[in-house]
Amino acid sequence: MKALQLPGFASSRRFYFSFWSVIMAISVAIIGLILVWPLVQVLVLGFYDPESSDVSFAGYAKLLTHPYYLGALWNTLLVGVCGMAGACMLGVPLAYCTARYVIKGRHLITTLAVLALVSPPFIGAYSWIIVLGKNGWLTNQMKALGVTVPTIYGAGGIILVFSLKFFPFVYLMTESALRNINRSFEEAAENLGCSSWQRFVKVTLPLVFPATSSGAILCFVLSIADFGTPSIIGRDFQTLSTLAYNQYTSEMGGTPTMAVSISMLMIVISMLAVMLQRYLIGKRRYAGSMTHRHTQKTVSGLYSWLIHGGCYGVVVLATLPIAVVMYTSFLQTSGPVFSGGFGLNSYRRVMTEVPDVIFNTFRFALIATLMITFVGAFMSYLIVRHETKLAGFLDAILMVPYVVPGVVIAIGFLLTFNTPPVDLVGTGSIIVLILFIRRLPYGVRSTSSVLRQIKPSIEEAAISLGASPAKAFFKVTVPLLLPGIIAGAMMSFITAINELSSTLLLYTAQTTTMPVKVYSAVLDGEFGIAAALSTLLLVSSGLCVYGVLHFSQSKENAFI
Amino acid sequence: MPHVQIRNLKKSYGSHVALKDVNLSIERGTFFTLLGPSGCGKTTLLRAIAGFHRQDSGDILLEGASIGHLGANKRNIGMVFQDYAVFPHLSVFDNVAFGLVERKVPTAEIQQRVMAMLNTVQLYEYATRMPHELSGGQQQRVGLARALVIRPKVLLMDEPLSNLDAKLRIDLRRDIRSLQQTLGITTLYVTHDQEEALSISDQVCVLHDGVVQQVDTAWAVYNHPANRFVASFVGSNNFTELQQDASGQARVWGQPVDIAFTVRDAAVKGAVASARPEVVNINPQWTEPGIRLGATVRQCMFTGRELQVTVEVEGHGLIDALTPPSQAMVDLRPGNAVDIGIRTRDLLFFAPGETGQRLQ
Repeated sequence: MKALQLPGFASSRRFYFSFWSVIMAISVAIIGLILVWPLVQVLVLGFYDPESSDVSFAGYAKLLTHPYYLGALWNTLLVGVCGMAGACMLGVPLAYCTARYVIKGRHLITTLAVLALVSPPFIGAYSWIIVLGKNGWLTNQMKALGVTVPTIYGAGGIILVFSLKFFPFVYLMTESALRNINRSFEEAAENLGCSSWQRFVKVTLPLVFPATSSGAILCFVLSIADFGTPSIIGRDFQTLSTLAYNQYTSEMGGTPTMAVSISMLMIVISMLAVMLQRYLIGKRRYAGSMTHRHTQKTVSGLYSWLIHGGCYGVVVLATLPIAVVMYTSFLQTSGPVFSGGFGLNSYRRVMTEVPDVIFNTFRFALIATLMITFVGAFMSYLIVRHETKLAGFLDAILMVPYVVPGVVIAIGFLLTFNTPPVDLVGTGSIIVLILFIRRLPYGVRSTSSVLRQIKPSIEEAAISLGASPAKAFFKVTVPLLLPGIIAGAMMSFITAINELSSTLLLYTAQTTTMPVKVYSAVLDGEFGIAAALSTLLLVSSGLCVYGVLHFSQSKENAFI
Repeated sequence: MPHVQIRNLKKSYGSHVALKDVNLSIERGTFFTLLGPSGCGKTTLLRAIAGFHRQDSGDILLEGASIGHLGANKRNIGMVFQDYAVFPHLSVFDNVAFGLVERKVPTAEIQQRVMAMLNTVQLYEYATRMPHELSGGQQQRVGLARALVIRPKVLLMDEPLSNLDAKLRIDLRRDIRSLQQTLGITTLYVTHDQEEALSISDQVCVLHDGVVQQVDTAWAVYNHPANRFVASFVGSNNFTELQQDASGQARVWGQPVDIAFTVRDAAVKGAVASARPEVVNINPQWTEPGIRLGATVRQCMFTGRELQVTVEVEGHGLIDALTPPSQAMVDLRPGNAVDIGIRTRDLLFFAPGETGQRLQ
C-alpha cells in the first residue's frame, strides 16, 4: 500500500473501513446474542436428562418412540402437507386466471388476498368457530333444517384455516412468475404441436415451479409452526407446536427437556422442507422477460361467469373470517353472552377493562419496528454493497428465523435471559426483543430488494458531479430507498401487532398484548371482547396494507 | 504538454491483474477511445481516471497536475455511464442541474446553462419530464447533458451506447462526435465495438490483458496493426501459418511469397500471415506480385453494399473474401470453382504468439 503517498485518501478509507467494521461488529453481536445463543441453549438442553442432569438422548428417544409424541408429529405433518396442498389448489388456479384473463376488479382480488394474508391465523380459526362451531351461526341454521354439518374442530378445521390463510403466498408468487414468463416459450410449444393443456403441463408449470414451490414451502413451514390455530380449533388434536407449549408450561420449574426436544424436531422438519425445495429447484432459475409479456385474454359469456365466480369465491371465502369477526364485534353483549341486536358494548368493555393491552401492543410493536427498520437498513447495506465473507455469513444466518417457530425462540429466550444481569423474564423488553429478532430478516430482505434495484452507478454519478460520498448517499440513495424502507417498516408493524406464538410464553399480566388477550378471551368464551380486539388488529393491519400498497413499488408482491 | 497523462498505472483485484503498467498521453481536444474485449482493463482504467477506484501504483495527471490522489467528487471530470445512471427521483432539469447545484452556481445561471445544454442535446421540451417517461436514447442524452453542463476538463464515457438499439446507436454516436468537436472537449471513450471505435475516434488505444497494444489513428490501427492481436480484434482477418519449404522459400497458403524480412527458422515456427477479406480478390485480373490459388465456393452472402464469399482452399481451410456485388459474383453458387488472388503488398506477417509483433 502506498498509503503514505496518499494521505487524504488513506485517512478517508480508514474511516470508511472502521465505520462499517463497527456496524458489522454490532450486527454480529446482535445476531449472536439474541438469535444464535438462545437457539444453542435450546439445542444443548435437549441432551440433558431432566432428572439427573446428565447428558442423555432420552428426550429425543422418547420423542421418536412414544406414541403420544409420534402422534403429534404425524398430526403436524398432516396439517402441514394438507394445508400446503390446499393452499396450492386455491392459489395456482387463481393465479392462472388473474394472470391470463381479463378479470374485472383484479386489484380488489389481490387486495383481499393480501388482507387474508396479513390477518393472523388465530382470528381465522376463531371466526370459523363462530360460523361452524358447536354453537356456530351456520351450524344452528342447518340444525334447524335438520342437516348436521361436519365438525370444524380437529384436523379438518385446521387444514381449512391454513389453506385459506396461506394460499395468497402461492397465489402472489405464482401470478408474478406467470406474468414474467416470456410469451415466446408458450408460443414455441404451441408451434411445436402442443395442445393448450399439454402446453400448460409441459411448459408453463415447470417454468413457474420455482415460484410456486417457494410459496408452497412457505405455507408448509408456517403451517407447522403455527400455534394459535391448532390451539383454538384443534381441541384434542395436538401438533408439535401446541405440544411444545403445553410441555413447557407444565414442565415449568423443572428442566424443559421434552419441550426443547420437540422444538429441535420442529426446526429440523422446517429445514428439511426448505432443503428439499432447494434441491428440487436446483439450478432452475428462469429470468423473466421484459419484452414478450403475456397479454390477458378477454373472455365472455358462461366462461367469464365461471372464472369471475371462481376467483371472487376464493378471496371472499378467505376474507370471510375478517367480515365475521368485524360483524361479531358490533353485536350487543351483556357480559360474555350476545344479547341480540347491535351495540358497542364489546368495544366499551375493551376500553374499560383492557386498555393497557391495546397500549402494550402498539408500544411493543412500534419500538420493535423502529429497531427492525434501523438495524435492518444498516444490515442490508452491508449485505448488498459489501460483498465480504462476513456479510455473506450474516445474510445466511438471517435465514434462521424463517425456519424457527415462534414457540421455539420463546423457549430459547426464557432459557437465556433468566438470570441477572440480563433477567428479562416478565418484562416488556423481552417481548420487544422477540418481535425484533423474529421479524428482522423480513425487514432486511425488503430493504435489500430495494437497494439491489438502485444501481451503484447512480451514487457514482452524483460523486462525479461533485457531491461527497456521504452527500451522494443522502441526496440520491436515501430518497430512492425511503419508500421501500417505509413499506418494510409497515410490514414489520403488521406482523409485530399480530404476533402470538412467541409472546404467549413470555407475557405477564403487565405485558399482555392484543393477540394474547384474543386467544385467552376465546378460550374463556368472551367472544365479544375477542371480536372487538381482533377488529382493532384487523383495521390497524388494513391501514398498514394500504400504506404498503401506496409506498412500495412492488405493490402486492411486497408481501411475499 | 499532454492534457491527460497516465503514468505507470497498475491495478489488481486479488490475483487478477487488471492494468499492467499503463502509460498514455492524450492531447487536448482529442477523442480518445479505449478499445478491447471484455476484461481487458478498459473500464478499470476509465474508472481509475474518474476516481471511483484507486490505482495500486502510478499516477494520473490532468494539465500536468496529479489528480491520482483526489476524490472522485474533486476531479471535475464528467462521466457518462453505460446504464445512464439518471437519477430516477429527479426531473430532467434537476438531473442536469445536479452538478451545478453542488458547485453552488447562482440559480439564474443554473437555469440558463441547463436550458442551453438541454437545447444542445435536443431535450429542451423535456425539462420537466421524469426519467421513466424517457426512452433509453433520451435518458443517455440527459446523462450526456448532465456531464457536460459542469464544463468538465475531461469527459469520460463508459460504453454509453451499448444499451441502445443499432439504429439509435449510430444516430447518437454521430451526435456525440459532433458535440465533442464543437466543444473541443478531451474525451475518453470506452467500447468493445471496433466499428464504433474506428468511426468516432481521433485516437484508438487497443487494450488486451491490461496491456496497451497500440495507440494510433483509426486508419493506422486498421491498416497497420502493431501486432497479431490488434489485427485480429480490429476488423476481420484471414490468418494462415507462414511456412517455409525445403529450399528456404516462404510460403503462404501453400504459395511462394517473396518477403522483405529474413525468415529465421525459429521465428517462422508459429509465425502467421494475414489478409483482410477486402484484399482477397476472386478471379483477379491484375498481374502484380502476389499469390494465386484455386478454391471452391462454400457460401455467398449478399449484404447490399457488398458480397461476402467464403471459399475453401484444399488443405488450408476457409478464406473469407469481400467483393463488390457484380453480376458475375452474385451468380456464384456453392461448389463453383474460382481462382483467388492476394497481392503481396496486402499481406501482413506477425511473429509467433497471440500478441506477436508485425514483421516488416
